[in-house]
Amino acid sequence: MIKLPNPNIGKVSLLVAVLTWLALLFVDITRIFGIINQMESGVMPEVSFILEIIFFINVYLFYNYNISKNEDNDFLNLIWRGASTGLVASGVSILISFFYSVLGDSKLASDILLKNFFYHVTFALISLFLISCALLWKHLILYQKSKNIVKQWQLFEILLLVSMFFIFFNKNSLDYSFLFGLVIITVFSISLSINLKWIPYLTFKEKWKSILFLVIILFSVSYLFGQVLNYSESELIIVNLTDNLFLIGLFSFVFFYSLFSFLVTLFNLPTSSVFEQKLVEAINFQRLSQSIKPGQNENQVLDILIDSSMSAAYADAGWLEIKDQEDQTVFLHERFIEKNATHQLFRHINAQKPFSNFDWEKAGYENKVFQGKIDFPPYKSALIIPLVINQETVGRLYLVKEVKDGFNKEMVNIISTFVGQACISVENYRLLNEAIKNERYKEELKIAQRVQRSLLPKKLHHDETFSISAFSVAADEVGGDYYETYPLGPRKFAVIIGDVSGKGTSAAFNMSQMKGIFHSLVQLNPSPSEFIKKANVALGQCLEKNHFITTSFYVIDTEKKKVTYSRAGHCPTLYYRNSDQECDYLSIDGMGLGILRNNLFDEYVHETSFAFESGDAMLLFTDGIIEAKDEAGTEFGYERLKKVFKSKYQLSPREIHESIIEEVYSFIGKNVVMDDDYSIVVIKFK
Amino acid sequence: MLEIKIIKEEKYSILHLEGEVDASNSVELDSSIQGLLEEGESGILVDACHLEYISSAGLGVFMSYLEDFQERNIKLVIYGLKEKVFQVFVILGLDKLMDIKNTKEEALEEL
Repeated sequence: MIKLPNPNIGKVSLLVAVLTWLALLFVDITRIFGIINQMESGVMPEVSFILEIIFFINVYLFYNYNISKNEDNDFLNLIWRGASTGLVASGVSILISFFYSVLGDSKLASDILLKNFFYHVTFALISLFLISCALLWKHLILYQKSKNIVKQWQLFEILLLVSMFFIFFNKNSLDYSFLFGLVIITVFSISLSINLKWIPYLTFKEKWKSILFLVIILFSVSYLFGQVLNYSESELIIVNLTDNLFLIGLFSFVFFYSLFSFLVTLFNLPTSSVFEQKLVEAINFQRLSQSIKPGQNENQVLDILIDSSMSAAYADAGWLEIKDQEDQTVFLHERFIEKNATHQLFRHINAQKPFSNFDWEKAGYENKVFQGKIDFPPYKSALIIPLVINQETVGRLYLVKEVKDGFNKEMVNIISTFVGQACISVENYRLLNEAIKNERYKEELKIAQRVQRSLLPKKLHHDETFSISAFSVAADEVGGDYYETYPLGPRKFAVIIGDVSGKGTSAAFNMSQMKGIFHSLVQLNPSPSEFIKKANVALGQCLEKNHFITTSFYVIDTEKKKVTYSRAGHCPTLYYRNSDQECDYLSIDGMGLGILRNNLFDEYVHETSFAFESGDAMLLFTDGIIEAKDEAGTEFGYERLKKVFKSKYQLSPREIHESIIEEVYSFIGKNVVMDDDYSIVVIKFK
Repeated sequence: MLEIKIIKEEKYSILHLEGEVDASNSVELDSSIQGLLEEGESGILVDACHLEYISSAGLGVFMSYLEDFQERNIKLVIYGLKEKVFQVFVILGLDKLMDIKNTKEEALEEL
């Protein structure tokens, strides 16, 4: 299979245009031979016109393709292309005129063949120049596209297309219909010529260049138009190709657009610097508002801030005064000023009104501006804007100028905006850092939670005489509740439950101390009262002054079927007696550990014992259960707990603690956040 | 929520507590007592008629001043405790170490 090459519109149209031009030349020369030899060549002028139209269309297609292909053309490049084509076209035309002026009145000067050849060359160059310019202008006109402008341009293109065929209708005579068509195209051209939105984007230097190029184009247009008029008057031209409405219309369009562009660019020159300044300010603003990237720091933003502000105010010197971590102020980013001079100027400014009114501690300095006269040669005016982050003044921006009243309202506004944006950037940066830090703390807390969970026993010691089950949940990540068992002998067990005052991390630390003390003391096989006394001494050394621990310590002797216990400020244990099927709190006096850190404590320690029977049950718990509140603020309370326990005593210890916890949760309801740790130990005697 | 009001009388000050003392606001209670101590107050009445709840952290505040008061011969008397709140003091054994009275009159006698 033969693969068809992808037709390249640019190349094809260029080739067709060249061929058409050659054909046009050939046809006209044939006609000239016919006239010279007084023979009817039989070639109608319409053939030339048709070839001319094909030529126009192909040149148009070629430039349209060529220009739109180079999307990255900037304005100056575009205008330069027009200008250079114009230069070539008028250059060649001038050369031809020069050639004829050298010939003078010689025979060659009136040679019809040569004249027509040059005429065709000039025609081709004029067409190239005008069509390329028209398409370049299209690019500029449609720079800021709106639906209306696009429609207007399309209409103009149709108008131009129609004007190409006008020649069949008017046969090259300059009549009213021709003038009428020209007026329509000219009016259209002028209305298109107001689309000059690209001009403000040129820099000052670019504007000068574009003015130069536009002058070249205007010159070329005028000169070539003059040439066309010359040729029209010449009697040696057989078929007039240039008195074509399309071509003359293009002359008018290219001329008016160039003229408008030239004038507007010229008058834009004085205000050019303002546009440039605004553009720079917009870019600076964008740089400031970009959040600080990882690896950068606040310094970068402050650097951009001082530079942007200096350029916005045309300041002669400036610097930043920033509070450091110790609340000392330091000078940063001094611009166009020596360190020593900065200090002197700083003192001078701050002794002056209104600058002396500044107060670091005062709130509400957002968008506040201090500006006024100073007398510190060569500086005559100063501007200070406080940097406020999170309602706290963290620094000041200083700008000074060598002229009086050097800061106008626009400058102050834009600098205030810069300062505001810089502060937001810095604040965001700090928040982000804080968020990262918090995330790390959360991770640490999770580890603490894991460690603390491992402090609670996985296995509870017991023998076949009783079964035991326990449960604990913390309100925060870590809690202060504690329970544990220890085998004091083959048939003797220690059981402890404790609650550390306060909650959260501090409580968790004290809870682990309590565990340590329990494990040390329990080795000595102490009686409950001994344990409490010794634990109080030990905790007295390490607990903070306002912290204490409540605990109940039980020794279960399954051989003697006896329970001995002491209570140190802990909430009393609930005991179910199977013999009379009654439930009661084991009341015994006792004081919390760490409340009294001397010998007097021992007076408050009591110990008692009782015999247990099969079917009896014990419920050890922490005050979180009692103080659990529902939405109305009612506490779960001792009575409710007693009732629940009494109704569940026949269940296994595990089932009992599960149903109690369930009861507590359903009591507080879903919308209430638990605000204390809950712990339960259930013992049931068989 | 906890509201603390300090009413200064000629020979003593009344610390009026309203609401709940918990871990989050026990610091306020502490600084109020600290403030009275710094002013050299030797008699403090704590009006607990409107105290709804006190957590272990709140009890810790009172507890931490026990020794200080004894050494400097300062009297602190709590009165008007609700039964439920009083029970918290009792269970912890603080009732044995602190002056707790039913009414303001009884408390004043104590001073």
